[in-house]
Amino acid sequence: MQKLVVIGAGMASGRVLEHLFEADPDAYEVTLFNAEPRGNYNRIMLSPVLSGEKSYGEIVTHDDTWYGRNDVTCRFGEKVVAVDRARKVVIGENGEVPYDKLVFGTGSSAFIIPCPGHDLPGVVAFRDLEDTSAMTEASARPGAKAVVIGGGLLGLEAAAALRLRGMEVTVLHLMGHLMERQLDEAAGYLLRKDLERRGITVMTQASTKEIRGQGRVEQVVLEDGTVLEADIVVMAVGIRPQVQLAKEAGLAVGRAIQVDAQMRTSDPDVFAVGECVEFEGHLFGLVAPLYDQAKVLAKTLLDEEETFAVKELSTKLKVTGCDLFSAGDFAEGDSREDIVFRDPARGVYKRLVLEDDRLVGAVMYGDTADGNWFFSLIKDGTDVSGMRDTLIFGPAYQGGASADPLSAVAALPDDAEICGCNGVCKGTIVAAIEGGAGDLPSLRAKTKASASCGTCTGLVEQLLAVTLGDGYAAPAAQPVCGCCDLTHEEVRRLIRAKELKSQPAVWQELGWKTVNGCHVCRPAVNFYLLADWPLEYRDDPQSRFVNERNHANIQKDGTYSVMPRMWGGMTDANELRAIADAAEKYGAAVKVTGGQRIDLLGIRKEDLPAIWSDLNDAGMVSGHAYSKGLRTVKTCVGSDWCRFGTQDSTGLGIRLEKRLWGSWTPHKVKLGVSGCPRNCAEATCKDIGIVCVDSGYQIGVGGAAGMDVKEVERLAEAATEAEAIDLVVAFVQLYRENAKYLDRPYRWIAKVGLDWVKAQVLDPEVRAGLIARFDISQSVYQHDPWADHVQTRRAAYAPLADLSLEAAE
Amino acid sequence: MSWIDIGALEDVPLRGTRLVKTKLGCIGLFRTGEAEVFAASNTCPHKGGPLNEGIVHGRRVTCPLHNMVFDLETGAAQGADEGRIETFPVRIEAGRILLDVTALARSAA
Amino acid sequence: MDVAADTTEKTFIQIAEIWVPEGDRLVHGGGDYGGLGAFEATSRRESFAQGEGLPGKAWAEARPVVLKGFDGSYFKRTEAAAEAGLTAAVAIPVFAGAVLKAVLVVLCGDDDARTGAIEIWSETDGLMMLDDGYYGAAKHFEWVSQHTHFPVGQGLPGGVWAARTPILMRDLGSGYRFIRADSAAKAGLTTGLGLPIPLPSGRSCVLTLLSAKGTPIARRFELWDARASRVGKDGGAVLADGICAREGPLWDEDNPRRVTAWQGLIGRVLGSGLPVAESAAPGLPGGYGAMVALPLHQGGELAHIVAWYV
Repeated sequence: MQKLVVIGAGMASGRVLEHLFEADPDAYEVTLFNAEPRGNYNRIMLSPVLSGEKSYGEIVTHDDTWYGRNDVTCRFGEKVVAVDRARKVVIGENGEVPYDKLVFGTGSSAFIIPCPGHDLPGVVAFRDLEDTSAMTEASARPGAKAVVIGGGLLGLEAAAALRLRGMEVTVLHLMGHLMERQLDEAAGYLLRKDLERRGITVMTQASTKEIRGQGRVEQVVLEDGTVLEADIVVMAVGIRPQVQLAKEAGLAVGRAIQVDAQMRTSDPDVFAVGECVEFEGHLFGLVAPLYDQAKVLAKTLLDEEETFAVKELSTKLKVTGCDLFSAGDFAEGDSREDIVFRDPARGVYKRLVLEDDRLVGAVMYGDTADGNWFFSLIKDGTDVSGMRDTLIFGPAYQGGASADPLSAVAALPDDAEICGCNGVCKGTIVAAIEGGAGDLPSLRAKTKASASCGTCTGLVEQLLAVTLGDGYAAPAAQPVCGCCDLTHEEVRRLIRAKELKSQPAVWQELGWKTVNGCHVCRPAVNFYLLADWPLEYRDDPQSRFVNERNHANIQKDGTYSVMPRMWGGMTDANELRAIADAAEKYGAAVKVTGGQRIDLLGIRKEDLPAIWSDLNDAGMVSGHAYSKGLRTVKTCVGSDWCRFGTQDSTGLGIRLEKRLWGSWTPHKVKLGVSGCPRNCAEATCKDIGIVCVDSGYQIGVGGAAGMDVKEVERLAEAATEAEAIDLVVAFVQLYRENAKYLDRPYRWIAKVGLDWVKAQVLDPEVRAGLIARFDISQSVYQHDPWADHVQTRRAAYAPLADLSLEAAE
Repeated sequence: MSWIDIGALEDVPLRGTRLVKTKLGCIGLFRTGEAEVFAASNTCPHKGGPLNEGIVHGRRVTCPLHNMVFDLETGAAQGADEGRIETFPVRIEAGRILLDVTALARSAA
Repeated sequence: MDVAADTTEKTFIQIAEIWVPEGDRLVHGGGDYGGLGAFEATSRRESFAQGEGLPGKAWAEARPVVLKGFDGSYFKRTEAAAEAGLTAAVAIPVFAGAVLKAVLVVLCGDDDARTGAIEIWSETDGLMMLDDGYYGAAKHFEWVSQHTHFPVGQGLPGGVWAARTPILMRDLGSGYRFIRADSAAKAGLTTGLGLPIPLPSGRSCVLTLLSAKGTPIARRFELWDARASRVGKDGGAVLADGICAREGPLWDEDNPRRVTAWQGLIGRVLGSGLPVAESAAPGLPGGYGAMVALPLHQGGELAHIVAWYV
């Protein structure tokens, strides 16, 4: 009998032995080393053991009886010190064992981020039963807190298990969404929502800086300064093959032990299997390829022909009640096509990726019934052109089913606020409909829903349709774009009612039909999110038109115009000198604009950071001449100089501009302040125009002087300058919170009515709320984008590479 | 094939773009997914708009000047518009973006 | 396997019976009477109007009801129960949306040796609080439970609440494995089954059955998943989890057991949407003498079936 020594009693080497004993129990006399003081158990089931949903006994693969029956000499709890290939012996802590054939099944160890404090007691990995026991012990103390670093498969299973066990759990993930290697953003969003529903806190784009503690872990500190309390820290950021022993034995080792398709290492009598293996540049972490390897190695050991090949993989997450499935490849390659299905009411998202009439990837959340069928289509490379249209509905599709455009509204909870003006919830409206209010007028009379500004009318109509079924025909409304079935007003209202705080949340919960929107809806959704959730949502430059992304106006030849702010149209010699210098240095054309400032035209993109920096040095900031936001405040010279001036119109203009600049609005906003009714600043055709009179300030809104020409309507009269500023700020915020994207104020006022606008702005309580929310938003957005970009994003303005030389060779 | 390393994947933001200068004009790099980048001529055939300044959505880009939409896989204009932009093979390896410059060399010859 | 010692000792639940609506009354729909023939005969003659007796009360109030002590209560079969030594009962209504499909009633008899727990938890102010429960002789554990609440995601009640699916927990008493572990260990509790009970009111409600070594609720537990989102539109159910004192673990990640409608007793539940309580039925697995299977309807479909065997 030949002597076989196996180092490591893991799932892969265990499977090798099973195949071997099954095929030829007398082929080898086996000695099995394992550093852990136990035999082979089903390691991938450790998370249910951690949660208490399985017991350790249930996941033991090979017990003492099994090893005994197969005459395996077990040397458990004994480390292998070295392998002497010349003498063909394995040297254990307790002595040598000779071999004819040797198998490395040393597996992998957790990758530990080498941040300060990573070696404190209480920092654990999630690889073996010892780690699992350490975590369960930590969870015994009431109120104990866990921080899990890594939002991949392993980290999330640990997080869910620790939560079930009673701990307060926070997951830190470096990337933008969870399980980014297996899921796309929409599925990652649903997974996050599911975990948050279990009471788990999820932080994405969270980078760990340091772990602190006196003799034991106490806190985790993030790069952004956030401090989290922790009784235990679980590191689940990745694995590292254990190759030290193989390396010392002189075997060929790259990122792991290199093997051929027969699992043979560089030594013909030495083999390797499992996570410690590198094959054709691949490493392996999931169990399916390890079992394939085991099958191949068993055959090789019995001198039979077998070849290992890398196959597509599928992933599931072992968290009870969490249904996700991911298979194949849905990220890389050319000429691909997506099929997307979303059902917000059931929390379902499915995406199939096709290439050349073949399915290459599938991501599913909330409905995974067809996962295995899709996986087999991927593995077999089946031609799906004949069933393309119904493919996403799975093998049992019988025709008829399609996404319901009303499902977003149907999915709203009863306490979701539909009418913001009158504070009417869905439950109240549905009760009224069920109580007999079968149309819009009677609903308005009964509940006041949509009876004020009217922007929620579409939603109320949809509730009528959902509640009354076919008995109600809602008038067709114009959706935002082809990506969804909802109007702008409905999207806005639902973002607030469902507290949607990210773009993937909007796409999923409102049933977007595309993967990530289009150039029409993305800028609108981006604005709605930042206007409603200034602190939670971050502006997405990739959802902005070029001018807003580059903070300059693109011209027809691809160059840009640059316009610094001139507060209230006032400037001085120093600023003018800097502008003149810049014009000369960057070859700009110079134009005086209608908004009382100076435009520098013809700047190349690469030069933008430099010219901004020069202008910043002279104390000037971006004039936002490119943004859907505050543009200019045009003023006359006012009582300082003019013999007719009644108030300090220049000063008021400057104070307004300093208060409002930097804010994003649905469309551009221009202001004018005139010092007397002669109106030299042309305030009466601005979005907001103030005319000073002896008794105070007349505030008009909704003027226009573009494609439409329109005089402002009177919003209010203010006795003091402070009151005038308050009214203007409140009006701007009301516009930000309610208008459709790309509606100028006059268009918006025409829809909601000036009376409603007045009622809001003139109510002291409502006004105070509007002003407070505006100031919160300004705390985030009132800063000079030029200075920011010069400091942090300068490189992005230059080409990524210049191949003008290489390409011509 | 002649692959040239032109930069790190993370230098192109998700749904963002970057420019590569070549002797034959600019090539836009369009990052459509976590690990998906397309390369295509940066010039809109309509009025010469710089496509790297457009909004990237799905596997498409919209020209910033007049909203013409191009499929980045085929280079074809979408909808009623006609026209095509040249596309170039690109791949990602170990977090680096590799561009195949064979086509460039060929056109230059 | 630590589900329960496989003895012929007495069990925590002595009787399980099914009541199904017929017209405006609940009529007898089968049961496992564990040899208590006189009580069975009395029950087979009985029927309940809405609000009448224990099953009628669960129907009327549309929630599970625990009744401890029959004397002077609304319980209708007090005399027969007393003769059979039964002292407490729990009625669990099975709703599909607003429609009552059946009421499952389990009856227990007090004595110093019988421990276990049947608990009703429901959501109050964002926490799972104990509505009521029957604990037999596990008095300390009863007291602890009354003074415990579970935030979403925590422990068996909080976990079932968050996951919206039945959960089977092992080794409740072994040190750290259960939030009320200390006291659970002293009471000898080993296995815990938690079920989300759908109610027409929409209020979140969780039923837990905690089984002890000496007087187990069951020696075999099975959780079947029948959601279309898991098994497809063809129907059927897969065994999501299960454990058996005789056969060991019943789950298999890669090849879960499957049944189709009307195939065996689980198939009967799947086909009819009604609970089953049977003794000495042919085809019971593992040589068990009796079983109870309870369907859980969610979102317009039969979503899960939980079954236990003694």
